[in-house]
Amino acid sequence: MSESDATPNVGLKVDAEVCMGIGQCEMLEPEVFELDDLGIAQVHAGSVVSHARALELIDRCPSGAITIDEEAT
Amino acid sequence: MIDLADPGIYSNGIPQDVFADLRGRQGLHRNEGPDQFWSVTRHGDLIDVSRDTTTFSSEVGHIQIYDIDPDALDARASMIDLDPPIHTVLRRLVSSAFTPRHVQDYREAIRARVVDCLDRFEADGGGDWVHAVAAPVPIGVICDLMGVPEEDHEYMIELSDHLVAGTSSEPLSPDAYGNTTELRLLPFNSPAAHGISEYARKLGEERRARPTGDLMSKLIAAEVDGERLTDSQFTNFFRLMIFAGNETTRSAMAHLAVHVAEHPDQFDRVRTDPTLLETAAEEVIRYSSPILYFRRTVTADTELAGTPLAAGDKIVMWYAAANFDRSVFVDPLRFDVGRPKQPPNVAFGGGGAHFCLGASLARLELELLIEEIVARNLRFDLPSPPKFVDSNFVNGIEHLEVRLK
Repeated sequence: MSESDATPNVGLKVDAEVCMGIGQCEMLEPEVFELDDLGIAQVHAGSVVSHARALELIDRCPSGAITIDEEAT
Repeated sequence: MIDLADPGIYSNGIPQDVFADLRGRQGLHRNEGPDQFWSVTRHGDLIDVSRDTTTFSSEVGHIQIYDIDPDALDARASMIDLDPPIHTVLRRLVSSAFTPRHVQDYREAIRARVVDCLDRFEADGGGDWVHAVAAPVPIGVICDLMGVPEEDHEYMIELSDHLVAGTSSEPLSPDAYGNTTELRLLPFNSPAAHGISEYARKLGEERRARPTGDLMSKLIAAEVDGERLTDSQFTNFFRLMIFAGNETTRSAMAHLAVHVAEHPDQFDRVRTDPTLLETAAEEVIRYSSPILYFRRTVTADTELAGTPLAAGDKIVMWYAAANFDRSVFVDPLRFDVGRPKQPPNVAFGGGGAHFCLGASLARLELELLIEEIVARNLRFDLPSPPKFVDSNFVNGIEHLEVRLK
């Protein structure tokens, strides 16, 4: 069983002060992220991804703005 | 002892042996030339510096190795030499135009420029690749976004060339382009910066009177805390966009031609497997590292890689060194169009607030150029080695004669 199957899905959040609106997240996971009119990434309410995918998305945000949302997890 | 600030070190491109030596040493390397600074050459250290804008400031000192006076810093300041929060406010004025999703809107317009340049290059049987393709494509694209009309694109290339020492063969007199400002107050100490500002003012006035959908219309109308941008915020913004959108992608496109000549087998791989287009573009970007470095200034005593740093110390991030870090990139000196995208190269920066705004645009431009080159099955021959720009800051190619085989 892979890690993504073994661990529960998690929610993500974006620090609006840190987000530079690069849009990498929106391209990688459009079901979860969408840039608003100010170019700040917003997380669709209730969306979750596997723990492994979460770590990848966190890692691939050039701004370093994404973290796991413990409250939504 | 090697002085990394000496432009002569880069006259044949990235000094791989020097950087390999520095990456292998303990801690950070202290540059003891006329300019004293710490060199960051490892991938991980570079990312740590990039992401901590509080400890490593872009606003204090200068983002180039040499210091400039506070009034000169103020006069030149654009978002690239500001820290959050003002950096963030300015960047958000334009960031939505540069997201991976949004740049797809420009795809066909970019392709048309690439096709046009390559058609003429093929008809001529070759020529100076920089003049024919690498320069006009990126300037055309960024000028379209900003709203600079086609007939002024050549003028923008000319002004932008003058900004980087050595890019242009003829030194400018201090009053060139009608300049009356003290040179030390101008970006790159160049009167060409005055020319760009004057142009920005004129275009800004036109867009204020008759707004169109371009970025100049957006910037001239933009408000920060309820106030319009100041004259220098506006003109410096324009200058930054023109320079950054022009010089860097041009360098990558020039280096691309060298790779096409030297590694035809790699481009055959792309031709037979178009899914490699994305990684091929990324490999060209990694290998060309168009910006050699940016500097930060330490704001509070700290430590990096075991080296104690004092407030006021200069930290120079050598992107061109970190992009060949063996601990991150397998066989880093091999040009491999299939190299995995992760971990990412740092040609666009190591992440954080100053990560290249135009990264997605540059990637798309390069992908389209590679796509057209392989679709036409072009074969390049270099009758002479590339002539590099005389600079310790950009890894640019001034002139590249290419013959079509």
